[in-house]
Amino acid sequence: MIRVQSLNRTFKVGDEAVHALRELNLDIDSGEYIAIMGPSGSGKSTLLNVLGLLDRPDSGKYLLDGIDTVTLPEDNRAAVRRTHIGFVFQSFHLIPRLTAAENIALPMMLAGTDPGLRRKRVQAILESLGLEDRAHHRPDQLSGGQRQRVAIARATVMKPTLLLADEPTGNLDIHSGEEVMTTLEALNKGGITLLVVTHDPDIAARARRHIHMVDGAVVEDRKT
Amino acid sequence: MRFDDILTFTGKTLSSARKRTWLMLLAMSIGVGSVVILTALGEGARRYVTQEFSNLGTHLLIVLPGRVETSGGHPPLIGGTPRDLTLNDAMALGRSSSIRLVAPVILGSAPVSYRQLERDITVLGSTAELLPVRKLELGQGRFLPAGDPSRESAVTVIGSKLKKELFGGKSALGKWVRIHDRRFRIIGVLKPSGQSLGMDLGDVAIVPVASAQSLFDTQTLFRILIQANGREAIPRAEKSIIEIISERHDGDEDVTVVTQNALLSTFDGIFRSLTYAVAGIAAVSLGVAGILIMNVMLVSISQRTAEIGLLKALGSPSGQILRLFLVEAGMLSAAGAFIGILIALAGVWALDRAFPAFPLSVPVWALAAAVAVALSTGLLFGVLPARRAAELDPVRALSGK
Ligand SMILES: Nc1ncnc2c1ncn2[C@@H]1O[C@H](COP(=O)(O)OP(=O)(O)OP(=O)(O)O)[C@@H](O)[C@H]1O
Ligand SMILES: [Mg+2]
Repeated sequence: MIRVQSLNRTFKVGDEAVHALRELNLDIDSGEYIAIMGPSGSGKSTLLNVLGLLDRPDSGKYLLDGIDTVTLPEDNRAAVRRTHIGFVFQSFHLIPRLTAAENIALPMMLAGTDPGLRRKRVQAILESLGLEDRAHHRPDQLSGGQRQRVAIARATVMKPTLLLADEPTGNLDIHSGEEVMTTLEALNKGGITLLVVTHDPDIAARARRHIHMVDGAVVEDRKT
Repeated sequence: MRFDDILTFTGKTLSSARKRTWLMLLAMSIGVGSVVILTALGEGARRYVTQEFSNLGTHLLIVLPGRVETSGGHPPLIGGTPRDLTLNDAMALGRSSSIRLVAPVILGSAPVSYRQLERDITVLGSTAELLPVRKLELGQGRFLPAGDPSRESAVTVIGSKLKKELFGGKSALGKWVRIHDRRFRIIGVLKPSGQSLGMDLGDVAIVPVASAQSLFDTQTLFRILIQANGREAIPRAEKSIIEIISERHDGDEDVTVVTQNALLSTFDGIFRSLTYAVAGIAAVSLGVAGILIMNVMLVSISQRTAEIGLLKALGSPSGQILRLFLVEAGMLSAAGAFIGILIALAGVWALDRAFPAFPLSVPVWALAAAVAVALSTGLLFGVLPARRAAELDPVRALSGK
């Protein structure tokens, strides 16, 4: 599903070049559950941004579902993000003035989906998360775990094939983190490919494949 | 993205930032309101003046002694005095087939007294034709009798204000008043008509032209008022006036003919450009509102950077983000224009109440122009912030940078 070959991403900081990704190779099959670990600054977020088409590599190949994404024009990359990729962020990124239901419906609204269909899908997803009674609450009226689960609902409402989570439990206590991971894993069981960046070994241990990064390269790739 | 969704989304954004929104609405509505009110004032002044001019009479031509070089068709308002106009000149004008009525006018001021009461007033010497030519209306009695204009007659028609001052509520008809050193019998009183182009017709005494000649000891006419034989006859009447007078004045074209239309269009033009100028000045405040919108939107975008990053991560192309922010600017200016128009209409209504004589009106073109200018300044000044939002790098935007 994903094929990455000799990917490079360099940032210029002053006169110095920081190699966030260097000659990185990676193959990911559909439906995998992967934890990405590594010290701070090792390039985990940069890799996720490139895989999620938010960032462009300086060189290398990246095929997603057979699409050569590196040469794709920006508007087409946006379209691929919309239909193929879901993001879950450490800081949730919910829009504070919208209710939980409206936040979840946002990707469909941007895509111009019919309002009736939108309501049905949001309803279904709220039910599956057990958040029906929170549908009309705004983010500041939700707990951290609830917020992150609303964010997950938003990330998956367009039925993407790839779900990218950058430290999804980083801002949560152990209990809420557990809840969020269960939610993500349920989605993975449903067939979605799940990549989780984490610093927490317990959380990483739940994945079936572990990737360890140092200095922008994969130093360990282990399946259990 | 569906258009109704864009509107709801933007509506929520605007209503969640209440202070910011009201500030921008205020700026925009002040701009639009002042454009509309000032235009209404200018337009009202123009209508007032043109209405005054058409009250002067129909198909009116005014003959002034003296020739003034005219350029560009603008009528002269001040004349020289090379050769006097006389009563005979006026009578001769009646020959022309394109002229219906001729009213010679002598003007002077004199004291008029009844018993112990005395007033200084304007005395008009003229003929029976003055009534239709000048569109005067009688309140009581008769006007000057028709007949040989060179014959004196001790009768007078007085203005309503003068009548009130001299006689109060009592009847004035048939009473004798003294004008200067002569006695005149009052045969009529004019209807109160208010000001007419600076001349208070309530405060005049009209006497036969021959009587005025001996009263002021002059043969010189102040002017000759002429009613042409219909609207199309005005140019022909003008030509024949000049022909007849120059024939009588040994070939000198030493009169000036002013047509009512020329006067009208001059004043019309002056007031129209005045209105445009005033509206233009008011439009500056619209520009200020536009700049305010731009600044506030730039601030708002820097506060919403992470949100813009999120929209991009969710697959929103930059064109869509550009549109969202333009719609925001457009909605602000449209709402501001709407409020501004309401304010202006309320203001005009209040002014109309306070000064009923002044015909205030809001021209439709001013409404349309104010809204169009408001919308285009809003969009114009919204483009820069919207472009900035659309071009943000998603990764950096998500981290709030
Ligand atoms: N926009 C940027 N400009 C300059 N340097 C950057 C930028 N983004 C990342 N970097 C650098 O690239 C390297 C990799 O960063 P990245 O955020 O991918 O690390 P990470 O593994 O996610 O770290 P952490 O665990 O702290 O989140 C770091 O040295 C970082 O300073
Ligand atoms: Mg990171």
